Amino acid sequence: MLKAMLRGLFAHKLRLILSALAIVLGTAFMSAAFVSGDTISRGFTDLFSTVNENIDVQVTGKSDVPVNPAGGEGLVTALVPQSIVDKLKTVDGAQTVTPQVVSDGARVIDKNGKAIATTGAPRLGGAWVDGDPAVEIREGNPPRAADEVAITANLAKTGEFKVGDTIEVITLQPRQKFKVSGIAGYAGGRDSLGGETFVFFTLPVAQELMLGTPGMYSNVDIKAASGVSDGELKRRVETAIGTTEYKTLTGQETADAQASGIQSFLNVFKIALSVFGILGLITGAFLIFNTFSMLIAQRTRELALYRSFGASRNQVLNSVLLESILLGLVASLIGLGLGVLLGWAMTKLLASSGLPSGSVVLKPAVAIGTLLVGTLITVLAALIPALRASRVAPIEAMRDAARPDKPLRTMTIAGLITLAVGIVLLILRGTKAVDNNVITLGLGSFLIFIGAVMLAPALTRPITGAIGKLVDWAMPGRLGVRNTGRNPRRTALTAAALMIGVTLATGAAVFASSVKAGVTDLFRSDLNADLVIAADFASGPTAGFDPAIINQVKAIPGVTSATAIQSDAVRLNGKDGFASALDVEPSKTLFGLKAKSGDIRDLNAGEVILNDAFATETGLKPGDSTTLVTARGGESPLKVVGILQPNQLVGSPVVSFADAQGFRVPVAQQGYVKVADPSQVDAVRAQMKTLVADNPEVTVTDPSEQLKQSTSFLDLLLNVLNVLLGLTVLVAVLGVINTLLLSVFERTRELGLLRAVGMSRSKMGWMVATESVLISLLGALLGLIVGTGLGIALVKIFGGDFLKLTIPWGFLITALIGAVIAGLVAALLPAIRAARLNVLQAISYE
Amino acid sequence: MSSPISAAARAADVWKVYGSGEAQVIALRGVSLEIERGKFTAIMGPSGSGKSTLMHCLAGLDSVTRGQVIIGDTVVTGLGDSGLTKLRREKVGFIFQQFNLLPTLTAEENILLPLAIAGRKPDQEWYQTVIQTVGLSDRLKHRPTELSGGQQQRVACARALAARPEVIFADEPTGNLDSRSGADILNFLRRSVTEYGQTIVMVTHDANAASYADRVVFLADGQIVDELTDPSADAVLDRIKRLDLSVQAAAE
Ligand SMILES: Nc1ncnc2c1ncn2[C@@H]1O[C@H](COP(=O)(O)OP(=O)(O)O)[C@@H](O)[C@H]1O
Ligand SMILES: [Mg+2]
Repeated sequence: MLKAMLRGLFAHKLRLILSALAIVLGTAFMSAAFVSGDTISRGFTDLFSTVNENIDVQVTGKSDVPVNPAGGEGLVTALVPQSIVDKLKTVDGAQTVTPQVVSDGARVIDKNGKAIATTGAPRLGGAWVDGDPAVEIREGNPPRAADEVAITANLAKTGEFKVGDTIEVITLQPRQKFKVSGIAGYAGGRDSLGGETFVFFTLPVAQELMLGTPGMYSNVDIKAASGVSDGELKRRVETAIGTTEYKTLTGQETADAQASGIQSFLNVFKIALSVFGILGLITGAFLIFNTFSMLIAQRTRELALYRSFGASRNQVLNSVLLESILLGLVASLIGLGLGVLLGWAMTKLLASSGLPSGSVVLKPAVAIGTLLVGTLITVLAALIPALRASRVAPIEAMRDAARPDKPLRTMTIAGLITLAVGIVLLILRGTKAVDNNVITLGLGSFLIFIGAVMLAPALTRPITGAIGKLVDWAMPGRLGVRNTGRNPRRTALTAAALMIGVTLATGAAVFASSVKAGVTDLFRSDLNADLVIAADFASGPTAGFDPAIINQVKAIPGVTSATAIQSDAVRLNGKDGFASALDVEPSKTLFGLKAKSGDIRDLNAGEVILNDAFATETGLKPGDSTTLVTARGGESPLKVVGILQPNQLVGSPVVSFADAQGFRVPVAQQGYVKVADPSQVDAVRAQMKTLVADNPEVTVTDPSEQLKQSTSFLDLLLNVLNVLLGLTVLVAVLGVINTLLLSVFERTRELGLLRAVGMSRSKMGWMVATESVLISLLGALLGLIVGTGLGIALVKIFGGDFLKLTIPWGFLITALIGAVIAGLVAALLPAIRAARLNVLQAISYE
Repeated sequence: MSSPISAAARAADVWKVYGSGEAQVIALRGVSLEIERGKFTAIMGPSGSGKSTLMHCLAGLDSVTRGQVIIGDTVVTGLGDSGLTKLRREKVGFIFQQFNLLPTLTAEENILLPLAIAGRKPDQEWYQTVIQTVGLSDRLKHRPTELSGGQQQRVACARALAARPEVIFADEPTGNLDSRSGADILNFLRRSVTEYGQTIVMVTHDANAASYADRVVFLADGQIVDELTDPSADAVLDRIKRLDLSVQAAAE
């Protein structure tokens, strides 16, 4: 009995393979995300353990200043003075005490005059320490003179530098020339630890160029004498120097702290990728649900026959359960294998750009989770149609295997209700009646999507009929259109799989284009500048230009107003946030700064102008005193001189350039320039370019160009998103192929007849292609509508100045064209099958 | 032998062999036959005698192992797929035992399907004649599922006739019908031959059905063994009995 049923399953090999493929893709993606994430994270953990291997205890300065959210964690905050180093040398049990100078921001200029970039890893600069067991000179000598440096081997490779070459390095100071005295590498033959670059200076040079303060160190590494544990040494150090100003960590703690920053980033990476894997799986579930529905519908008669022989309902269900477990398990296993392979390839790819890598890590939890999720989804998707089929009375099923479609009314009403509930939830969030985002936004969007899926069968005939008008004039087209409307449930379910990916992509596109439009508007309406100097985004948080350059810019004929902007994270009035230094007078013209209260004028040291929001929040008024804590400058008093009216371009407190000297880096990130007459812009631009000609990390552009650059990351984000969603579309296309293959199979006799009355092979193909394209278009159309609706809702709900509702028509049209292409691709195999039918056999097919 | 042009269809020494070795079946053994233009020809014989095979070969639905088939002035043997497609469009019509209508099309659309596929405009006068002859004027907008078996077969007949093909091939057209509906169809086929000069070849094992034909060809064991012109049902039955006896005798 069971054997007979299993034979039924394997009789439909092609369709089985297609639905299994969906599960394979989904599980592969999901496991690849975790495998690559885990592998990279193991790589980092190993790396930091290696780095800290020779450190038993490390002392760093304690700084309360918040980390700059824009990056630059390696930038020095508080430093360790020589006096503390001396004190540490006296600690009992400290065998060696090695003061170090290391900081981010040593940029080497390559032969084309560009600063050599890394993929996110820091560009470190520091002092050469003799006898450090982790670092070795491979070629040449350590730096011995003030104009000598050693560089790491990866830097030498990228820049094609040899010992004896002269290189230029930008540090806290503008570019300076050095002679390469040696090439360094790490123990174990590594050119770099994790993609970072390192320039080794002599100690005094490093202190001046990297820390900006002579006689200071970034950290002190201590090795314990034998018999003294790391923990014990740490306690003794803390007794000696206290815990208020300095942080003392054991080597292990340091490694953990360094790794944890990376770990949380990797977790986001893992989760984001597996979300797409799961989306792929859900799309696959639609496909499996559809396949099993169709297989079971075909076999209803057969199953009913078994039941009339006395097989119980459970036996029927058990056989489907067994089939689906088998299918799910095998597919997930293959998916897992593929995922490990993919993950391995991904880490290899990343390793080539400098990330640490090791052997592939497959955690048992990941393996089990992947198999479980893949199998469970398969079983669920298969069991629902089986349950439904097993409820049919045997006689009923045998009498009429080809049941006419059940009416769609119940489904449609349920769909309308679901949709309505979803919309109400979004409205509740929009009116702020309920603030819980998970319930309102999450559940609301989900219900709207599900409601739309439930409505899809009822919409199938009207929509495909309407689109079908375009191809109705030719017989293959007309037949294709009619076939699409033949089994609305099947068509709708197939289309629904495509809907998932399209809905998400559309929602994201609407949101992103609204952000873009909003930002553009802000720029256009509020910024009154003709030229911009800006640090290149890719050059990292240390890039910029000397703010004093702006004085030379002001002297260029034709320039009416100009200011530099130097920003950093600070603590103002006890509150962590950004502050900027800028010239207030020209900013009135450039950014439209206006006084709400007090004076809006150029600032002296110790003065601050607050933005409206900050003032409202803190209650500070002109004349009040407060404090400012900067990364290098420590704490200093400030006097509030004025409060700004709300301004879209200047949204943080403004301090003087004098106080900005305490910022992490002594450079301005941006400069804005207004020119008297448009005809002078080109001349001014040329002069400005010569002013920053020796700085490879800044560019002179105009506001519209800058805008393009600053919104380009949105495009990048969308591209990545669309590539990932491509997975769900791929699975959905498999579904379309599957459904069409089944239809071709079911309609063999009709197809034979068409051939017998003179339809050519190519027209048979076009008939199938029409149906395929219509299914894809239906899915795409519903996805575009729901996605646009959700996108609009999100924009309305979040509101704000940076959002201006914009419908991305280009995207919508591209998506529709994409759907047509996807439909044509999906039609290929079924169309060939239909065209190649043997006419005689097809006609006499039972 | 008359020239190929005068015959609507012609089979010359046609052999059809299925399979090979142990499983080899010789369905036709050197059949030569001319289908006269404007005549109603019936092919009769016991089950398994090769009637359907002969018809499929004549109609270009199946290839022959040896011999030649000609329809009108077209040599069917050796035609490729596009040649066969053209032949089906222009020269032949089919009526099947299981009606074979497209469920998504209305009766009218089904009737006009071959013309639509060929991209030809229906001749309105002829079309009206056809639907009146089959008596379907009030059922044209119905889907096949809304029609009785007899009505469906009448739609199939009208479909075959609408394009005025060189020959219409009908394989047991009354096999799935009750005797009244069957008689309707046979009358209709008879009228198309008599009144409109249509050439029809019908496969049947029913002596009564065969009596509607101008000529009956008897097939046994893949060979033509006999024929009758202007047969009555009784004459046909008589021949069959004799054939059966001889077949049995041969078997013993
Ligand atoms: N596709 C086929 N493969 C093998 N043998 C076949 C095939 N079609 C028909 N035959 C055999 O050829 C012979 C003639 O079949 P057929 O023409 O269908 O007979 P009839 O229509 O007179 O009943 C039979 O013995 C039948 O079994
Ligand atoms: Mg037969």
